Amino acid sequence: MTSLQTTAASNPGTAAAASGSEPRIRVKGLGKHYGSLEVFRNIDFNVGEREIVAIVGPSGCGKTTLLRCIDGLIPFDSGEVLVGNQRVTEPIAGVAMVFQHFGLFPWKTVSENVAYGLRMAGAPKAEIERRVPEFIKLVGLAGFEQAYPYQMSGGMQQRCGLARALAVGPNVLLMDEPFAAVDAQTREILQFELLRIWEERPTAMIFVTHSIEEAVLLGHRVIVLKGRPSGIHEIIDIDLPHPRTRDTLRKPRFAELRERVWSTLMREAREAEFVLER
Amino acid sequence: MPGPGFRAPAFGRPRNDGLCQRGLPHLLTTYLRRHTPFWISILAGIAIWEIAGRSTSAAFMVPFSETVRQLWLFMWSREFIEQFLDSAELFLTGFVLALVVGAPLGLLFARVRALRVGVEPYIMILYATPMVALIPFILSMMGFGFAPKVLVVFLFAVFPVLYNTVEGARSIKPELIEVAKSYRSSEWALWREVMLPYTLPFIMTGVRQSIGRALVGMIAAEFFLSATGLGQLIMGASQNFDTAGVFASIFLIGLIGVGLMRLGLKIEQHFARWRQ
Ligand SMILES: Nc1ncnc2c1ncn2[C@@H]1O[C@H](COP(=O)(O)OP(=O)(O)OP(=O)(O)O)[C@@H](O)[C@H]1O
Ligand SMILES: [Mg+2]
Repeated sequence: MTSLQTTAASNPGTAAAASGSEPRIRVKGLGKHYGSLEVFRNIDFNVGEREIVAIVGPSGCGKTTLLRCIDGLIPFDSGEVLVGNQRVTEPIAGVAMVFQHFGLFPWKTVSENVAYGLRMAGAPKAEIERRVPEFIKLVGLAGFEQAYPYQMSGGMQQRCGLARALAVGPNVLLMDEPFAAVDAQTREILQFELLRIWEERPTAMIFVTHSIEEAVLLGHRVIVLKGRPSGIHEIIDIDLPHPRTRDTLRKPRFAELRERVWSTLMREAREAEFVLER
Repeated sequence: MPGPGFRAPAFGRPRNDGLCQRGLPHLLTTYLRRHTPFWISILAGIAIWEIAGRSTSAAFMVPFSETVRQLWLFMWSREFIEQFLDSAELFLTGFVLALVVGAPLGLLFARVRALRVGVEPYIMILYATPMVALIPFILSMMGFGFAPKVLVVFLFAVFPVLYNTVEGARSIKPELIEVAKSYRSSEWALWREVMLPYTLPFIMTGVRQSIGRALVGMIAAEFFLSATGLGQLIMGASQNFDTAGVFASIFLIGLIGVGLMRLGLKIEQHFARWRQ
């Protein structure tokens, strides 16, 4: 274990290692209350332009809240979020979120849902007509263009949510446990498809998850949130080579890193603050 | 990703379940099996009406056959058609006004909490007030023209639309509003793309309730304000002891009401086809 590099929470981390350039997202001293409940405080981290940062933490520790702050959906109390050079006060162009609950509009077909983001961004009609089928195909939903969300499985719905987010050509992707509500096999398929899509067009990505395997498989770094109010407990560098494939799962190094994150979370669980959900 | 040999089923419009292949006789028996109780009940109703009508004085009640005959005669009477169109104009004006005011106002109330909380007591009071009681007041304020009558129909019809729209729009999942925000939707686009499509089935529920009330408002306005249209016909016929005329007019209004509500239901189902 000692051979693993870990970075203290106070250090924004080694984003440059994976991205090789300026960070795309900078989160500085972020703090948030809901009324008298302090959700998190002093959150500091960067995400490189082509880096996936995975965030794990027990249920209710404020992962969704953190993403909503970064997306500019809700105000926060202290600190700041920068995307590029822009201070986030409201949702900004070029940032797309994939939601834990899919967030599809049930009265829209797959095509219409995927077109939604483009239309809101004011894309010309010709471009929408070109991009929508392209991204439906990219996520493997070809043939389901006219399906309504209720006609599709959870995995297919989240493919649609992913296509909607990707279609706007974001340079930042915020993923809130996107695969938590789908079955284990579909989840594995979607993980590798996401990796394939990311390899094709790398973006900055924050990937929130409950699953340690998923965090280690996808992340260049894994952030462990802990405490009440929560803060960054550890940032763990995942030095597994890219592109990551099914083989990655069988590497001894993968198992080591998974155990590393696991024990970090367990230490916290033994402090009996939270029930750990895997 | 769908594997080899995978075929995407046709989505979109509801499928026909192959009824057409099984031919007309099958269609007919399916129809009969499903609707027999309905037709038995209708026939029994007509029979009771017919018997009751024949065994009482024509001054009180006319049988079904006589009502239908009178209705048939009306269809060829210029005066009846004119009065009918007069009523239709009143009904449609008041009803459409109720829809174009009630639905947007309902969406606004759902969106702006302060406004809803502020206005709700007045709406509840007006909704609970028997509208007929307001007619003398409207008469003294606005006189005998077309406008006060439209106002009566409007007041009868607007609250179900408004109420159902507010309740519907309030039940939109906040997550979906957040999705719209995340994609930087404008307020107008939020209404057009999210609130309205979600709320349409609820609005149509209100519309169906409003149809009946608007018909009541129409007749009330024609009775108590200036006498015109079907209301005038009914009153005139009743003063002349023309019971068949009264029955035929009322029967027609009932038929139109039922027809409009069925139409409303179809439209509602059309807008709600995205629900499972
Ligand atoms: N709108 C809100 N108002 C008040 N409290 C909230 C609100 N949203 C979340 N909370 C509280 O804030 C805390 C963090 O919630 P959040 O949804 O961010 O957790 P999470 O880490 O995403 O949990 P999960 O893993 O279950 O998705 C929880 O205690 C929750 O009850
Ligand atoms: Mg969450």
